[in-house]
Amino acid sequence: MTRLGRISAEFTASWHAFLRRRTAVFFTFFFPAIIVVIFGALVQTQPTGGGLFAEPKGYYIAGYLAVVVLFTPLSRVGSTVARYREGRRFEKLATTPLTRVEWLLAQALVNVVVIGVAALLLLALSILVTGTNIPATPATLLVIPFVALGVVLFCGLGAIIGRIADSQDGVIAASNAIALPLLFLSETFVTPDLLPAWFRPALGFSPLTYVARGIRAVTYADATTVALPNLAAVVVLAVAFFVAGAYAVPRTD
Amino acid sequence: MTAALVAEGVRKSYGDVTALDGVSLEIDPGEVFGLVGPNGAGKTTLVRALTGTTEVEGEISVLGSAPDRVEKSQIGLLPQSFSPAGRLTARELARQYAGLYDEARDPDAVLADVGIDGETAEQWYETLSGGQQRRVCVAIALVNDPDVLFLDEPTTGIDPAGRRALWGLLEDLASGGTTVLLTSHSMAEVERLSDRVGFLCDGRLAARGPPRELVESHGGRSRLLFETDASPTTLDVPGIGYDVSARNGHLVVEDVGPREIGDVVAAFENQGVEFESLTWKQPDLEDVYLELTGTSFEEAER
Repeated sequence: MTRLGRISAEFTASWHAFLRRRTAVFFTFFFPAIIVVIFGALVQTQPTGGGLFAEPKGYYIAGYLAVVVLFTPLSRVGSTVARYREGRRFEKLATTPLTRVEWLLAQALVNVVVIGVAALLLLALSILVTGTNIPATPATLLVIPFVALGVVLFCGLGAIIGRIADSQDGVIAASNAIALPLLFLSETFVTPDLLPAWFRPALGFSPLTYVARGIRAVTYADATTVALPNLAAVVVLAVAFFVAGAYAVPRTD
Repeated sequence: MTAALVAEGVRKSYGDVTALDGVSLEIDPGEVFGLVGPNGAGKTTLVRALTGTTEVEGEISVLGSAPDRVEKSQIGLLPQSFSPAGRLTARELARQYAGLYDEARDPDAVLADVGIDGETAEQWYETLSGGQQRRVCVAIALVNDPDVLFLDEPTTGIDPAGRRALWGLLEDLASGGTTVLLTSHSMAEVERLSDRVGFLCDGRLAARGPPRELVESHGGRSRLLFETDASPTTLDVPGIGYDVSARNGHLVVEDVGPREIGDVVAAFENQGVEFESLTWKQPDLEDVYLELTGTSFEEAER
């Protein structure tokens, strides 16, 4: 069996296992929907100034996408690692030809598909609910690699959390503790000018910042020149976190 | 003949707890080696050491290679408490693991070998009974047709009929040349399947050898047990004297051969001892286990 065959076998199993957990499927897709309804329809934006959402509606598309790119893979992969460890599945897999990289890649691909669909739903809802416009240009297609690479990046981080946390409860707690600060300190919903000047350089330490900046550049600002450097940063970070995540996948006790 | 599995001076500690304390053993190709011992004796740690899923001190060789270098398609492992994805069917699970190898057996055929077929193979793993689940796990361990098979308590939770079916399957594998390392708490299972048995106590191999030899050297004497309230301490049988001990509502007469049972019973009746029932027991691996683990007969009978 080729590497592709092994990844395919693991992908197929993980995909079916996910689809059959109805609660997980429901909330995976309900999550982006509720985000758009709360922030897009209830809170709304106030372009005239004041409040948290003072930018035009299109500004926040990147934030909405960042929510699903960040939260879902982080908690899903972290929980999957904990579940595999509790079921002694890594111990079994360690005696098969499947490598850690292949295992994490299969999990990441499942997440790319799931979150890709969720992101499409979110974009459609954003347009329907908030009435915002997304530029219909070839550059807008860069959203796809930003979302896919962002998912891979946070799958890697999820694997690291899964390795460190000793239970599924621990994974959820750790994921939330990491994701919430990242979400609000990555140029998603909170603009840099709302933060103290001394803190603003710290935004560069959040990998989500580059995802949000890139998506915003192609969905709102129509600034491909801004998108490409951020895409390069996301590529580097995705590779780094994926490799670190694969290394963190348990193979021994 | 080169040994299929070699462990030399294997040591492993978890903090202050010593799990393996200098274990050495060799298992020949095609041999079924049963590993028994109390909970916490180090059985699972030794399986992990041999499969390369834990790091240990000492030398380990699997089919002539270090555990992390051995060709993965040559080994099969059923970990203790292994639990695959609950919402995949038995067939999907077998296919998943078959898909990880260059060459694998037909997943349906492997499932059929362990008694999982038809509608059962289409059920989600989590809806199967405990025994059916364990059979699926055994099938997963067999799907790559391994040369060396590690089975950590494979029949836990399986009903007697299913257990015997699996024993038959393992006997077929062994006769086909598969090397099997089996851990179990069932002495009957180990005694039936194993060419040799190793008793692991406190991280050390306290004894090893063919079951019959172990029973002869460590199993003690045969026993005749009478369920009674009487308590004589000696028993006069013409020509033979027996020591009698009272243990937990039983009178125990040791070293009674099968041809002498009638004489002993007659002697009891002559002494007016009334009893509800009697049991004659030859020493077996369970007695070896009790002897080697330091568990007394009285403790075991409680």
